[in-house]
Amino acid sequence: MPDNRDSAEGAPIITVRAMSKRFGDFEALTDISIDVRRSEVLCLIGPSGSGKSTLLRCMNFLERYDEGEVRMEGELIGWRDDGAAPRRPLPSAVLREQRKHIGMVFQQFNLWPHFTALQNVAEALLRVKRLPRDEAFARAEAALGKVDLADKAGNHPSGLSGGQQQRVAIARAIAMEPRVMLFDEPTSALDPELVGEVLSVMKQMAAEGMTMVVVTHEMGFAAHVADRVAFLDRARLVACVPPAEIFGATPADERIRAFLQTYRERNVV
Amino acid sequence: MDFSFKVILHNLPFLLAAAKWTLLISVAGMAISIFLGIFICAARISRAAWLRRAAAVYISFFRGVPLLVQLLVFFYMLPHVGIDLPAMAAAILAVGMCSAAYTAEILRGALQAIPAGQTEAADALGMSPVWLWRRILVPQALRLGMPSLVNELILLVKVSSLASVVGIGELTRVAQNITGQTYRPLEVYIAAAAIYFLINLVISQLGRVAERRLQLN
Amino acid sequence: MEFELFHRYGPALLRGFGVTILCWVAGSIGGIVLGFAIACLYRWSWRPVRWLLQAYVELIRGTPFMIQLFILYYGGPYVGLVLSPVQAGILSFVIYGSPYFSEIFRSGFGSIPEGQIEAARCVGLGEAAILRRIVLPQMLVLITAPLTNFIIILSKETAILSVVTVPELLYETQTMAAETFTYVEPFLVLSLCYWLLVVLTSWLGQKVEHRVTRHLRRANA
Ligand SMILES: Nc1ncnc2c1ncn2[C@@H]1O[C@H](COP(=O)(O)OP(=O)(O)OP(=O)(O)O)[C@@H](O)[C@H]1O
Ligand SMILES: [Mg+2]
Repeated sequence: MPDNRDSAEGAPIITVRAMSKRFGDFEALTDISIDVRRSEVLCLIGPSGSGKSTLLRCMNFLERYDEGEVRMEGELIGWRDDGAAPRRPLPSAVLREQRKHIGMVFQQFNLWPHFTALQNVAEALLRVKRLPRDEAFARAEAALGKVDLADKAGNHPSGLSGGQQQRVAIARAIAMEPRVMLFDEPTSALDPELVGEVLSVMKQMAAEGMTMVVVTHEMGFAAHVADRVAFLDRARLVACVPPAEIFGATPADERIRAFLQTYRERNVV
Repeated sequence: MDFSFKVILHNLPFLLAAAKWTLLISVAGMAISIFLGIFICAARISRAAWLRRAAAVYISFFRGVPLLVQLLVFFYMLPHVGIDLPAMAAAILAVGMCSAAYTAEILRGALQAIPAGQTEAADALGMSPVWLWRRILVPQALRLGMPSLVNELILLVKVSSLASVVGIGELTRVAQNITGQTYRPLEVYIAAAAIYFLINLVISQLGRVAERRLQLN
Repeated sequence: MEFELFHRYGPALLRGFGVTILCWVAGSIGGIVLGFAIACLYRWSWRPVRWLLQAYVELIRGTPFMIQLFILYYGGPYVGLVLSPVQAGILSFVIYGSPYFSEIFRSGFGSIPEGQIEAARCVGLGEAAILRRIVLPQMLVLITAPLTNFIIILSKETAILSVVTVPELLYETQTMAAETFTYVEPFLVLSLCYWLLVVLTSWLGQKVEHRVTRHLRRANA
């Protein structure tokens, strides 16, 4: 991979420390500690139900983590940082301010169906960044251009293919100029022939130095684009290493071996 | 203002006795509603255009005119055309005929959920249309429409209060009479409301149980 | 049939019709506003408040309108709430309609996929903006039909107001019938009037629905 990024060893932008998350009695994440470094692509892989989505959603407080900390550039995400126990969530205005800097792309796109592609992208620029109309729409158009959809700006989501919808969703996130982008299985809802167009947009973002955390089942993407790959199993972080150590001949951990084994079997069709 | 529970306690037996008539009107009305509703529904989807149109007019009219007005028309019309029914019977008939318009539509919706293949299978077996309706379509439609029909019954319990206007001694009417004697409208009407509420609570719970039973099979 | 009667009582009947429309429109608007408030409160408040709202909804839906009207009109004065018949009629309409409207709004809220709302939160939209820009425009399409449906049901319930001497259409007709000893014709004509009113509003409702869903159909074209 050609790489014009500063350095994979950039300073951490998100730090997760000793973080746990429960749903009722069920422990979905146990004692997770992981850094996301500036300009790196970090892929999260692991079996279904291992907690990948939950970890991602804790990073922007869509899920409230119970113990530990998630910090972005030193700032505690979601909870008030005043040491009070029990912790109280931040006022919603502050939380919104934090989320402005964290873009998110969902498996199911989650576009707003009553807006056109352009309106989907411009909405937050108008209402959150409070840009003037002209500027907001100009920026939205530029963002759509980046994902190669300038000509579909006037379409409603129902008039776009899955791959195009997902690219609009990516444009919606990058138009906000986030410091980090979170992707939750961005290609899992797509027909196989549409996966490529979304992945290539993501590769280009990576090449431009965007910091990205990507939950994915696309092992090719993880192997070739990621700077590091984190493996989760049953709510625990098993490893967070360069891709070669996972996709190399024999991964050290047998849970990873087993996972990749079933994975290969599934894909040998 | 002193809210007097004594007034309620003292008059509760009368209210409960009257609630029996409320129940009678709504349950008997529901029976008529289902019986008539089946035929109206059949007409509504029959192949004969005039039947379809007649059913549509029936449904539109009975759903478009306030039930209270229907009741009054019924009461003044029947003697006028020489039919002499007891007041209670006339009220039940009016309530049932109005409700039949709704029941017909409920059943029609339920019938649409039954796969057309079943009808074709019956046709292929040479089953007569009457038999098809009696044994195959109606039982399934009643089951599928069960939640809506329970709702309709709850509605009938509530609208049976309109019968008070034409002098039938059901719950609302008796509450009015008691108020006339005691000058305690707040207590008496709240007690009546509570009885209505309890009746409907019981019906909806029974409906839920019935639904679960039907689902298991 | 004695049409001369209608001539003589025409003005009274027209006035009655006006009162019917007044109670219906005012009651519907009030009911929608209160129902929307209940649905919003339900969405954004703590559990005890929700229980209270749920109890209110169940109580009103489980009791006859006429009894509610009686409690308000005859019972009101005993707690210092003295209302004219028309005031009582409108207020009872607002109270009676609000739980049904709130349920319609609640199902509308529920119909918007949670993911769309999460996506909005992720780009930093606030709750008010999410409601106004994402939830309301989409749910409007879904709730117009049940909304107009219930408003039509309310139009028929206005007849019940005659019982507490609200001078609406049925009340005026009853007065005319009692004064002239003719019963059959007036009530037949009255039925026809109500029927026309309902058919007309249903037709109007369909027009509104058509308009509201226009952008959706265009989007799917
Ligand atoms: N809202 C919730 N309530 C209760 N349990 C939940 C909730 N969300 C997730 N879980 C549970 O937490 C565990 C982790 O879920 P998560 O969605 O993070 O898994 P995942 O690794 O993303 O799996 P997949 O690859 O299937 O998306 C699962 O067992 C799931 O059932
Ligand atoms: Mg997941």
